[in-house]
Amino acid sequence: MVDHLPNLGREFEMLQAMGFSSIDDLFSDIPQDVTRDTPLDLPGPQTEEEIWADAQRLLSANIPMNSRPNFLGAGLYENFVPTMVAAMATRGEFLTSYTPYQPEVSQGMLQALWEFQTMISELVSLPVSNVSVYDASTAAAEALTCAVRVHNRKAEQKNIVYVSKWLPDYRLSVIENYTVGGGIEIRTLEWDENGMIDLDFAKEANGCCAVYVEQPNPFGVIDENLPKLKEIVGENTALIVGVNATSLGLIEAPGNWGADIVVGEGQPFGIGATAGGPIYGIFACNEKYLRQMPGRIVGKTIDDKGNDAYTLTLSTREQHIRRHKATSNICSNETLIALMGSIHMSLLGPYGLEKLSIRNAASCQATKEAVCSIEGIELLYPNTCSYNEFTIILPQSAMSALSYLDSLGVTGGLALEETTKNAESNWLHITATDQTTMADISKLVDGLESWLETLKEVSA
Amino acid sequence: MSDVFAFNGDLSAGYAQPEPLISGDEVFNAIPSSLRRVNLPRWPRASEPELVRHYTWLSRRNFGIDNGFYPLGSCTMKHNPRVNEKIVQLSEVNDLHPLAPESHLQGLMAIFYEMQEMLAHCSGMDEVTLQPVAGAQGEFAAIRCIQEFHKKNGESGRNKVIVPDSAHGTNPASAAMCGYEIIEIPSNDEGRLDLDALKSVVGQDTAAMMVTNPSTLGVFEPEIAKASEIVHAAGGQMYYDGANFNAILGKTSPGLMGFDAVHYNLHKTFSQPHGGGGPGSGPIGVKSHLAEFLPKPLVDRKEDSNGIDGWKYFWRDPENSIGKVQQWHGNAGAVVRSWAFYRRYGRELEKMSEHAVLNANYLRHKILNPSNDLAAKIPAMPIDGAPTKVVKHEFTLSMSPVKDKTGVTGKDVAKRLLDYGYMAPTLYFPMIVPECLMIEPTETESKEVLDKFADDFLKILSEDSDLVMTAPHNTDVGRVDEVWAARNLVLRHPLDN
Repeated sequence: MVDHLPNLGREFEMLQAMGFSSIDDLFSDIPQDVTRDTPLDLPGPQTEEEIWADAQRLLSANIPMNSRPNFLGAGLYENFVPTMVAAMATRGEFLTSYTPYQPEVSQGMLQALWEFQTMISELVSLPVSNVSVYDASTAAAEALTCAVRVHNRKAEQKNIVYVSKWLPDYRLSVIENYTVGGGIEIRTLEWDENGMIDLDFAKEANGCCAVYVEQPNPFGVIDENLPKLKEIVGENTALIVGVNATSLGLIEAPGNWGADIVVGEGQPFGIGATAGGPIYGIFACNEKYLRQMPGRIVGKTIDDKGNDAYTLTLSTREQHIRRHKATSNICSNETLIALMGSIHMSLLGPYGLEKLSIRNAASCQATKEAVCSIEGIELLYPNTCSYNEFTIILPQSAMSALSYLDSLGVTGGLALEETTKNAESNWLHITATDQTTMADISKLVDGLESWLETLKEVSA
Repeated sequence: MSDVFAFNGDLSAGYAQPEPLISGDEVFNAIPSSLRRVNLPRWPRASEPELVRHYTWLSRRNFGIDNGFYPLGSCTMKHNPRVNEKIVQLSEVNDLHPLAPESHLQGLMAIFYEMQEMLAHCSGMDEVTLQPVAGAQGEFAAIRCIQEFHKKNGESGRNKVIVPDSAHGTNPASAAMCGYEIIEIPSNDEGRLDLDALKSVVGQDTAAMMVTNPSTLGVFEPEIAKASEIVHAAGGQMYYDGANFNAILGKTSPGLMGFDAVHYNLHKTFSQPHGGGGPGSGPIGVKSHLAEFLPKPLVDRKEDSNGIDGWKYFWRDPENSIGKVQQWHGNAGAVVRSWAFYRRYGRELEKMSEHAVLNANYLRHKILNPSNDLAAKIPAMPIDGAPTKVVKHEFTLSMSPVKDKTGVTGKDVAKRLLDYGYMAPTLYFPMIVPECLMIEPTETESKEVLDKFADDFLKILSEDSDLVMTAPHNTDVGRVDEVWAARNLVLRHPLDN
């Protein structure tokens, strides 16, 4: 029996008031040739108690990250979200509201999003932020198309953008899908021997529309060359930097070393990894890109009596006004998750952010030292500093190491060959976060050592 | 009024965290000196008790379905069951990594599989992906699939996408992002698809046509099957914008109407909360000839006695996949909520649509047929946006007669409704209806609420025009100056102090 329909049992009364006699009358406009002739072949309705029981039964087959030592990250991170974040964000007034098109009754969400814009702007040190896009990859892709719209007319290398080597396949694929329609050609920025952008090679990108790089890079290396990049690529080329958001309590904000657009994954602020969504993409930029940027923006304004108020603004960029000439097709975005991020950021404050960055970096450093002390394991990029993650070279395939570790109850990381074209099969990407403990690290090290032992046994 | 940056407490204010695994100094010194952050972001310095007050205060200055009737046309603002929130807050949803081994995600994948199958069944499609995270992203992904389909058939010359002038703005925007030229065709005098107009533009350069049915006017397109025939005969594909799917579940399906691809808005039909603008979820379904192009991966399963109910789930990449539109597996949390919503109805999803349509027709009838007493006090009545005997899940009103007689615009009435404790209807859309209000009550409103809303709506039409034209009067702020906002562009806090 379905229980969320207030007018069940009162259908006839309502139909009669309209001069109809059956529900079928209301569907008489659907021509016979397209009318369904059999009922839906689905199971019957369930009560809330049955749904909850079934959800628990099915979901108990999952293994959450926090239930065991976890070293898988690569763009989404195991974290701890303070309890008050979801408690506040899921208040019905926020949770069940639509896009704040009626500002007079939406001041709460509008103000929270304006505060979010300010916090992101401060975090990356650029003047403008929107209220989120879908994720880090669509943020990067939209940044590239935005930059082409702004720079193409004057660009020496028209319709050409460069992106960092070794981007994960899933990110590159999103970028390719978003740029194919605009006829944008994507070229690769090479790395030097330390895993940093090759500044000599980068001269080739001079005069193109945009370059996209990441800090830290996809293998976790903090790239010391990036602050020199803007000068090399030139004033009329957008420097787009993808960031690991939590690193910015420790690593200088890209807006302070030449970035024109900063994008990234907001997830560690506000929500768990949630199997990949909902999460939210950060998009911040210089004023030069404001009128070509995607997504919604909140502005402070006044009401008819001159009182402070907030409203959505610059809507003429958007699809509901500009239709096929819009800067992006984005409509639904990730507002509620951005709100969660905003609450989490407010609660951390500047020094809480710094500490969170330090915890992440410390876990990474401790894990890296412990793993590198194992004989037979080498760093892919020795002599570099890492944040959150680093990549090691194993004597045999990373997949076999991971399945061995998994059998010991340790999620050991990511075999890069699974997500990155041309990655070697023995490259293992390891992530440690603020949630990593010394006990977790010991289990990883013990596991890797005993896996290496099994290799010796086989070869012996 | 206060903002969060007014909290300016001690440096130690805020959330206390455990100590790092190695000392902060050691970590800091390891960062290359040229890249160490000099000035921290000027975030608030506040404690939890202060922030709980702040966000509670903000929430009270916001209006959701929980606060009152939300007749926002095309947005399907139905009740959001709370058990759905409880489920997604479990670690077994919230703390999963999308790149974890399949063996860590079996429960989630079982739910994904069930949703893929259910959506395919309800829409008459063959294969479904849950990856797109919004309706617009679903449109984009599906049009990309259609683009690759034509390319594979050696028909890359098909460079035009046809949309009716009543289409959602995302339709042309999504097709344009794929590089298509947009051909907009006018609706006929009754706001319906005009087959002659369609025939005059369709041809060898047609890649696809994008249609919403019922249309944004809330009326069912009676000639939809013929439109599909015309487009197919020219070699084009038919795309169904599922924004209005709530109207037709169990009654008809995009498959029966001749569509090749469809997106579903889980945040409309399946009650993923709108959250102030997102997250959404926009899965797409396609007929078998497009299935090889779907975004990767999909969930599949094989028999395995150790699996859940005898099934082991695995990721499967379609053969000629367009790749990724979102970097992971879509908004999994939204899919889980929508699964819980679907389970509440099961095969009775048809009843959901019946009640959505019942409520829309009932409210339209009540508004357009005022009692004699009330009618005598109303200087001018709105008229139907499109002439029709019955509507589907929503209807449009043109306020033009009201504006002509009294000067009161659709926007004025919308703003006055806020004073009565309602969300305003969708305003000035579709653009083909002058002074349009678009009203969608959904199935979760009671007859009493609809009666009261109709009374209040009609009462507003009888009110002094000055009162209405200066509305709202009872809200947190008065009518907001959007022009001032666009001219001055105060897009962040200056943090001067």
